[in-house]
Amino acid sequence: MGHIELNHVTKRFDNGHEALSDVSVEFAEGSMTFLTGHSGAGKSTFLKLLLGADIPTRGRVLVNGVNIGAMSQRRLPYYRQNLGVVFQDHHLLSQRTVFENVALPLRVMGMRGREIARRVRASLTRVELLGKEHLFPRHLSTGEQQRVGIARAVVTRPKILLADEPTGNLDPDLSRHIMDLFSRFNQVGSTVIVASHDVSLIEEMGMRILHLEQGRVVSDQPGLNQQAHDPAPDQTDVEET
Amino acid sequence: MVSRFKWLGWLRDHGRIAVESLHYISSRLGTSFLVWLLVGIALALPAGLWILQVNMAEMSADWQGRPGLSVYFKMQTANSQVQDAAVLLGRQDIIDEVVTTSAEEALEEFKSYSGLTGGEGGLGDALTLLDKNPLPASLRAYFVPGAAIGEVEHLINLAQRQPGVAEVVVEKTWLERLHELSRVVSRLGAILGVLFGLGAILVTASSVRLAIEGRLDELRVLKMVGATQGQVRRPFLYFGALYGFGGGVIAAMLISVTLVVIEPPLQSLLGSYQRELNLAGFDPIFLLVLLGLGSVLGIVGAILAVRQRLKDLEIF
Ligand SMILES: Nc1ncnc2c1ncn2[C@@H]1O[C@H](COP(=O)(O)OP(=O)(O)OP(=O)(O)O)[C@@H](O)[C@H]1O
Ligand SMILES: [Mg+2]
Repeated sequence: MGHIELNHVTKRFDNGHEALSDVSVEFAEGSMTFLTGHSGAGKSTFLKLLLGADIPTRGRVLVNGVNIGAMSQRRLPYYRQNLGVVFQDHHLLSQRTVFENVALPLRVMGMRGREIARRVRASLTRVELLGKEHLFPRHLSTGEQQRVGIARAVVTRPKILLADEPTGNLDPDLSRHIMDLFSRFNQVGSTVIVASHDVSLIEEMGMRILHLEQGRVVSDQPGLNQQAHDPAPDQTDVEET
Repeated sequence: MVSRFKWLGWLRDHGRIAVESLHYISSRLGTSFLVWLLVGIALALPAGLWILQVNMAEMSADWQGRPGLSVYFKMQTANSQVQDAAVLLGRQDIIDEVVTTSAEEALEEFKSYSGLTGGEGGLGDALTLLDKNPLPASLRAYFVPGAAIGEVEHLINLAQRQPGVAEVVVEKTWLERLHELSRVVSRLGAILGVLFGLGAILVTASSVRLAIEGRLDELRVLKMVGATQGQVRRPFLYFGALYGFGGGVIAAMLISVTLVVIEPPLQSLLGSYQRELNLAGFDPIFLLVLLGLGSVLGIVGAILAVRQRLKDLEIF
């Protein structure tokens, strides 16, 4: 699990706006990719389709060969249990402690209390927040809150990690630190996709960069020590003739 | 092994959510109590009417299936004439049984009635001062079940022609009226039960809706981390059940208080008819049904709210 493929994916909203237009792209298992482009380019829409939070108007989103867009509402939650998701505004629950926030995905999976405690500590250690588990999110700095969000995303050791503007309003040092966390996570085998328009930072990271412009892939720049990916080949004509 | 783990996880999740729901409700006792009260009142009315109806039906059970006519004789009619009339009526096809009451028996009965409430110097005592018995002899003839009206008319004529007969009455006894009234109450209770049950459902539905609104962020996160639809809905179904159950408890309290309050006047009403007050229906089974019904209505309300609000909750 961890191989992702988009096959001629188009997403048109009810108002007629086309957020993604015939996007075909592939992510190898264990790869790390940055998704960039101007505001409104379709980055969030792209991630939503991977999450199964929205379905493509045309085309297929395949994760390990399974079409996410055609997945039943009953199966979707079990698919999501294999994903880790990080947002810009971290989506932490203000009424719950750091520990409980991070434990949430494990509780949903019905894990035992002792195993939960062990995993939550391990996860908090990774983001260097061990010792703050009994605080409430409002007592943490923005950067710390964002790291709690990351701890929650990785606590299940997901095969796929998706992040939407995870460094949105953090200072450069902190942003760098967060990106490093993602790449460390990628090194242990997860497929990582991070949407960000912090161009200078992502170029510094030396990973594959997928550039979206008005819903189309306009460039696909391979990472420094990754094998080259073809820029989204426009196969429409070939297949339809 | 895998499925056992799943079951354990499922149970754990239920346990955790039940505890959380209790905590949620007890941390908002003011609101919760209001909901309980509203649901409780909605349940108490039809349930109370049901108890009333059960008791009325029980009291009128003596009468049920035994309609008849009463024949009153003139004063100082000879007992032999009363017996003759009784035998004649008893021979009729539509008469099941005839019971005669002589003037003396009537007097005895009257004395013991008024003795109940009159005490020393009561009406019963006053009667002993009279040198003549003021009460007539009478008889009551019970119809066989399903006697036709036409035959009853014929029987009334026959009875009236007997010597010494003063009056023939096909009376509606108070029990008979009670029986009819209990049917009215029964139907009223059914209608009110449906209406107020609906009310209970709406009250829990809107309370659960409020609870959902207050936790939308949490629900989005839950869906995002892969909570199933069941897991997202579960706490609210617990809320509904707890609201309904609490409403059932309140309803039980309201009804028992009402019964205590109406017992004395009811006692004297029934006592004057020489009947013992023995309220039926308010038993453990009734309580269980009340609490169960409350919980079910609460859950139905919660399902409505959840359906309406959580159907297409966007994750982000
Ligand atoms: N539900 C919707 N209905 C209609 N249009 C939508 C909807 N969601 C997104 N869009 C439009 O689709 C386009 C792509 O949106 P998207 O959120 O994917 O952009 P983005 O690349 O994430 O931008 P940003 O960098 O600002 O987050 C935008 O023009 C947006 O207005
Ligand atoms: Mg976006």
